[in-house]
Amino acid sequence: MAVFQLQQQWVDLISALFREEFLDSQFTQLQQLQDESNPDFVVEVVTLFFEDSERLLNDLCSTLHQRVVDFKKADAHVHQLKGSSASIGAQRVKNVCVSFRNCCEEGNLEGCLACLQQVKHEYTLLKSKLEALFALEQQIVAAGGSLPTM
Amino acid sequence: MKDVKAEARDEGEEVGCDCDCGGGGDVGLRILVVDDSPVDRKIVERLLKKREGDFEVITVDSGKKAMDILGLNEGETTQNATNDQKIDIILTDYCMPEMTGYDLLKAVKEHNFPKNIPVFVMSSENDPQRISRCRANGAEDFILKPLRANDIQRLRSYAIKTASTPIAGSKRKLQLDPVTENGSSERRPRLAGVVA
Repeated sequence: MAVFQLQQQWVDLISALFREEFLDSQFTQLQQLQDESNPDFVVEVVTLFFEDSERLLNDLCSTLHQRVVDFKKADAHVHQLKGSSASIGAQRVKNVCVSFRNCCEEGNLEGCLACLQQVKHEYTLLKSKLEALFALEQQIVAAGGSLPTM
Repeated sequence: MKDVKAEARDEGEEVGCDCDCGGGGDVGLRILVVDDSPVDRKIVERLLKKREGDFEVITVDSGKKAMDILGLNEGETTQNATNDQKIDIILTDYCMPEMTGYDLLKAVKEHNFPKNIPVFVMSSENDPQRISRCRANGAEDFILKPLRANDIQRLRSYAIKTASTPIAGSKRKLQLDPVTENGSSERRPRLAGVVA
């Protein structure tokens, strides 16, 4: 496939991510921090986010399935997830975390479990879309092209 | 690079570090970043290093490690808080396990360092009580997360205005420079003869 077509696919994919509110302007901030001296910055930060999030989601699952649920502990995990998702511009994930924190504060187990499902769903969706984006970027660079600037 | 270092040493400035920070450049303010989130640490560090020469960045993931760096270990007397690593500014997250940024702020302000170290607190929560509590305990400013480039600009302007190091002349010159975002490794030339 020609570089131009790959670049167009990239633009379409990322525009959709913003339009469908998977990403917000904080992601643009990250893109602006990437340059020739830090060409993999976005991938590196997002990879850290994936690792961190998966750990937090596992901890949350475990915390919410204890015989006696520690809602403060759950809230602390959600707070961390909310923070890191906000930092990379993962808007949908962050928004679920806001509702999730409310459920934790109310000690609402059913609500928490529903939020956990929802946040896992949003996270998985986002992860697959970002991985597709990064794969496209690798193809573009391998074909000798450069990423369009937003 | 060698010339810059030699010049800096002549003016009594401490340069030379093992970290990958580009040599501590023209202003070279040493900033200690404290945050338990690996994502945030990476982003803040990049924001700070975006303009080469502004900051020499040290990051730690806990208040306790920050205390170690500042020489504020448990068991040492307060008189021994010497700040051997010559930290110029502290930028700390508020919410951290075990030791919060607020605890760290109080610990820093309670000790008589040879030179006052300004502490900036960052948080994702826009809580007025939290903000005023931090200010009341000596925080220079409170920055809302997620951090953006203009927050770093604020930090830099403050640091240039109030940090007391021998190269005051260079700093004034820096304030007038247009902001260049090209991220190139080209060093900004220092003015000949500009000495405090």
